[in-house]
Amino acid sequence: MLRSLGLPSFDALFDDIPKGVRVARMGIGPGRTEPEVVADVDKILARNKPVSRFSNFLGGRISSRYLPAIVDALISRSEFLTSYTPYQPEASQGMLQALFEFQSLWVELSGLDVANASLYDGATAAGEAMLLCRRIHLGDRFLVPASLPWEEKSVLGNYGVGLGLKVAEIPFDPSTGRLDLEWVDREVRRGDVFGVLADVPNGFGLVDERVLDLKSTIGTVPLVVSADPLALTVLQPPGEYGADIVVGEGQGFGMALSFGGPLLGLMACRREHVRFLPGRLVGATQDVNGRRAYTLTLQTREQHIRRSRATSNICTNQSLVALAFVLYASSVGPTRLARLQADLAEKARALATALDGIEGLKVPRFTAPFLGEFTMELAQGNAVGFLDRMLAKGVLAGHSLSDPRRAVKSGPELVHVAPSQAANTADIRKYVKAAREALVPGPMGSA
Amino acid sequence: MTFRQARWDEPPLWELAPPKAATTNGPAIALPGVPDRWLRKTALRWPELSEPEIARHYTRLSQMNFGIETSAYPLGSCTMKYNPKVSEMLARRPGAADVHPYQPESTVQGSLEIIYRLEKLLAKVTGLREVSLQPAAGAHGEYAALLMVRAYFQDQGKLGQRTEVLLPDTAHGTNPASAAMAGFTTREIPSKNGCVDLGMLKEAISERTACFMLTNPNTAGLFESDIMSIARTVHDAGAMLYYDGANLNAIMGVSSPGRMGFDVAHLNLHKTFATPHGGGGPGAGALGAGEELAPYLPVPRVAKDKRRYYLDYQRPKSIGKIKTGYGNFGLDLRAYVYILSHGEEGLAHVSRRAVLNSNYLADRLGKFLPRPFGKLVKHEFVLSGARLKKEGVRTLDLAKRLLDEGVHAPTVYFPSLVEESLMIEFPETESRRELDAFVEAFDRAIHDTPQHLREAPKNLSVGRVDEVRAARELQLSWKDLRAAAVPPPPAARPATTPPPP
Repeated sequence: MLRSLGLPSFDALFDDIPKGVRVARMGIGPGRTEPEVVADVDKILARNKPVSRFSNFLGGRISSRYLPAIVDALISRSEFLTSYTPYQPEASQGMLQALFEFQSLWVELSGLDVANASLYDGATAAGEAMLLCRRIHLGDRFLVPASLPWEEKSVLGNYGVGLGLKVAEIPFDPSTGRLDLEWVDREVRRGDVFGVLADVPNGFGLVDERVLDLKSTIGTVPLVVSADPLALTVLQPPGEYGADIVVGEGQGFGMALSFGGPLLGLMACRREHVRFLPGRLVGATQDVNGRRAYTLTLQTREQHIRRSRATSNICTNQSLVALAFVLYASSVGPTRLARLQADLAEKARALATALDGIEGLKVPRFTAPFLGEFTMELAQGNAVGFLDRMLAKGVLAGHSLSDPRRAVKSGPELVHVAPSQAANTADIRKYVKAAREALVPGPMGSA
Repeated sequence: MTFRQARWDEPPLWELAPPKAATTNGPAIALPGVPDRWLRKTALRWPELSEPEIARHYTRLSQMNFGIETSAYPLGSCTMKYNPKVSEMLARRPGAADVHPYQPESTVQGSLEIIYRLEKLLAKVTGLREVSLQPAAGAHGEYAALLMVRAYFQDQGKLGQRTEVLLPDTAHGTNPASAAMAGFTTREIPSKNGCVDLGMLKEAISERTACFMLTNPNTAGLFESDIMSIARTVHDAGAMLYYDGANLNAIMGVSSPGRMGFDVAHLNLHKTFATPHGGGGPGAGALGAGEELAPYLPVPRVAKDKRRYYLDYQRPKSIGKIKTGYGNFGLDLRAYVYILSHGEEGLAHVSRRAVLNSNYLADRLGKFLPRPFGKLVKHEFVLSGARLKKEGVRTLDLAKRLLDEGVHAPTVYFPSLVEESLMIEFPETESRRELDAFVEAFDRAIHDTPQHLREAPKNLSVGRVDEVRAARELQLSWKDLRAAAVPPPPAARPATTPPPP
């Protein structure tokens, strides 16, 4: 090939790269054969301890669920796995139809009109929702629950900083954990609030009835609800209680934990705001012969057309994870999904009840109802130390709700607990026994 | 041999097994302790399907989709290369897949080590000081980088002054979009002969400039040979130089962003490092930074203390978090496997082969359509289809006609500085045979009658899709289809192509 181009060597292909910017070598070592690579990676991965080795009570937005084998089998089909963004609809009807089905499912779950074809994760979806609010309402303050996970607050701050948007925290009742709606009412009346976000379940695991009354408090100010898709199989669709935008984290529907990535950002809005929506959208249409067909649509919102005036910079999204989402929901089916949520809620209730009364623990920390996860408070010691001691007894007991960036440790030590789908009655008993011991400072308790 | 794609009349899921009409007899399911007003009045409206029904449905859909394993995929600036199977296998190991990001550090030493090692490797490839794997995609990395630039100038007390981002007119659309989201105004610098016009850059740059964003090689497939002068100009003005790494596949082992003087860079691991694109994602957008900007990288950083890896949050200058977790770990692992397999010489050879493929193809296709910039190209090149307009044929028609040959179309109408542009990239994983086959397909396509070109494609699951109607009628979900009560599709016909065994 070089000869056909009349070039003496590979070097001639790079004649346009000045000597001053050449590198001699990168310094990354020689290549390895496939068995060598597999051995190397397996050796490293052996230093991980997968959740299956423990009694697992880790949750938050990222859920430990059983993945039906069919999900991975079908998303692994190379026609899906190795395709690009479906810019040429005629060559990509399969992915486009699957994404249309995905959008339809999030519309049904959210109770809104239009869903996009995915964003990066639940936190960035909340960030994009905040920016969407700013496009449909004036103001410079966005209200979020003080109980929102610190990671999401940090992401929201980063999505707002460019436009000078401020994120303010809605206080909660220290006993019930419920949103302070009077505070919200007061702040909204100041006229500078352009959007309010509430999460279901919230950062403490609570399903707070005040969320149902939030829209009537804030009136024309847009309401964003960040909801867990599994919870939406049993709870009212947020569109029915006034949400203007519904976002969520979709990993629990079909994606492995994979140390927290890839995840799936879900987003839906009202029809009148569709032109302000970020991300890709698949629409149904016809081909020249009147045959049903699908295509990306309203691309004039997007960066490759609108550039600096686009509704978002997003290009690559999470299409394959969106496919996994609709596959998971369809293979489990609506009845068993609702049953799964009810089972998880039962387990969480059983654990909270069994832990209640142990000295040094306040369980649950708040009195508002919860579903499959709850928060407890440690009277003494710190959450990380407690979790380490629980680990030593074979229990992934939850995660600390403290912001690890804080320089000075202060404030209550809260632990978020979410029984995994795999956790059974024996695991719950084990948790309770381990917690009694982990809370007693002793020779084992100094970790 | 004529190509034919499978053509299934595959209805959407809800037509396979229409869900029962919703009933409103109280809550769908009772939850002790949860007040009734919280509960759904009706069960979720979604079909109950059997596993074989689902398997057949999505297998049929997959047969109506091009992927890198069905055909070459020469989308310019997208670097559609083959995705090695060993990466897929390893990413599914329980030690990789079944690990929760909130597990105690002592139980995730393996994941932390992969991240740590990959960050170090990418720092070497880019010639930058530190790399973070947190961004989910290229544009996400761009955004994070611009927030870092913002924070840097804020610390210098110059944020009020440095409000503008400059970029060439060949820039990817994500660049100006990310800059706008980060609160900067943007100004495009016109190109000269496909490259940055240094004179125009010098004229435009000022004490108001925060950053100049550049892709090198650029989207015209050209190496910006003035890069040293560009870097000097940008730095003399006190601004930062940003590297869009979408096109890194052309220069590994030859040059690097750090060596060229860039202060910050994003890489698309789903391009250069062969992680699958998944029909549009997930990707992974590694973010590299030099001395001045490294302290601003997102937290946590993965650090090592003797033999223990840990998550370091004590980075007072960090911009904080830009997503949940630590990045798309599943993709990071695949990229790690790719780099480990190739090594120093392998990666350098990837770039040599990609550039050779591109020059070979540019030379051969240049016989059919003019190349606006008639010099040495890097990993991709641009043709102009403008002359076809005389015959009433647009670049889009040519793209659709190429699909009929069983090959994916190139990127079309970008970069916009070339009229009726086609942007073609054949990465190193495509053999000479594939290249020659593409030339033959291109030959047949461009010499077809104008009418055939305008009527293409004929051999795919659908004919030319009515995108105008899609935007006008906006049917975006099942709910919209229900509202429109569209008539059911025509009765199922047998597929014109039997599925592969």
